Amino acid sequence: MTNEEKIALIEETLDIESGSLNPETELLSVAEYDSMAKLSLIVLCDENFNKKLSGEQIRAFVTVGDILAFLD
Amino acid sequence: MGKFENKYILITGASKGIGFTLAENLDNLGAKLILHASSEDGINKLTESFANKGHLIFRADFSDPLSLEEAWQSQINQDIKLDGFVNCVGLRSRRPLNLLKPAHVMNILHANVASFIEMCRLVCRKNGFNPGLSIITISSIAAHSGGPGVTAYAASKAATEAAVRCMSKELFKKEVRVNSLVCGQVNTEAYSDLMETKASADDVILERQYLGLGSTQNITDILLFLLGKESCFITGSSIPADGGYLS
Repeated sequence: MTNEEKIALIEETLDIESGSLNPETELLSVAEYDSMAKLSLIVLCDENFNKKLSGEQIRAFVTVGDILAFLD
Repeated sequence: MGKFENKYILITGASKGIGFTLAENLDNLGAKLILHASSEDGINKLTESFANKGHLIFRADFSDPLSLEEAWQSQINQDIKLDGFVNCVGLRSRRPLNLLKPAHVMNILHANVASFIEMCRLVCRKNGFNPGLSIITISSIAAHSGGPGVTAYAASKAATEAAVRCMSKELFKKEVRVNSLVCGQVNTEAYSDLMETKASADDVILERQYLGLGSTQNITDILLFLLGKESCFITGSSIPADGGYLS
């Protein structure tokens, strides 16, 4: 899966306008990135990438790029 | 003589958490157990932990309620008359509404609601139990106090409590009691998994649960009371065991 496809999947999962995220986007600047969004990320990683995302790892994410790196 | 000497008690979801602690306690108290697990790991743990104790092992997939009748009849001697049934199966679910697709919701409802009702039906058939049978299902504070992300789980637990109230009114003539134990946060493997994957490091539940995190023994002590004849005047109830959470 390309980075563009991953970003599209993240946007869809977090219910964010398509095309609004890029790897440099800081998560703190995304209004929709709340506790439910983080829970959605956990489900996304589990179901689409078969990866277990821990609370500690989520708290370490600063940019969208950090999420993409985790999904690699 | 143990308090439950020669009493037959079925525990579903017995390989972990509350179910496992209850099994250890009842084993010490002389009960004859039917211990259920869904997975091979669970069955192996039960076999190792209770080897040579004369208990029965019951393997069945609670996410497939349609398979339970065949599993129950083929694995368990149908001459056994049960004195107690404690349902500790509880599939967890934490996901926001946008990811709450029907397949996921149905899986939770199958395991937590339909399978519990099906086991009650199978257990309560003619000659399947002794008068005084006590049925208890583990419920949750989530059934009474909603939280974001737990829609499917909370709905399933509320549904089992509603089912308990109806079944108690149907079954009292057969001298069967049915109750739900509404548990707060308890220190189980499921709780550790939950804390491991939470986006926030804080446990907001424990702020309201002012007696602190419960232990599986706390819950087991109440289950033993509800299984015994000391609780013969209690049926159809949702009994809180929540460290004060719902107060």
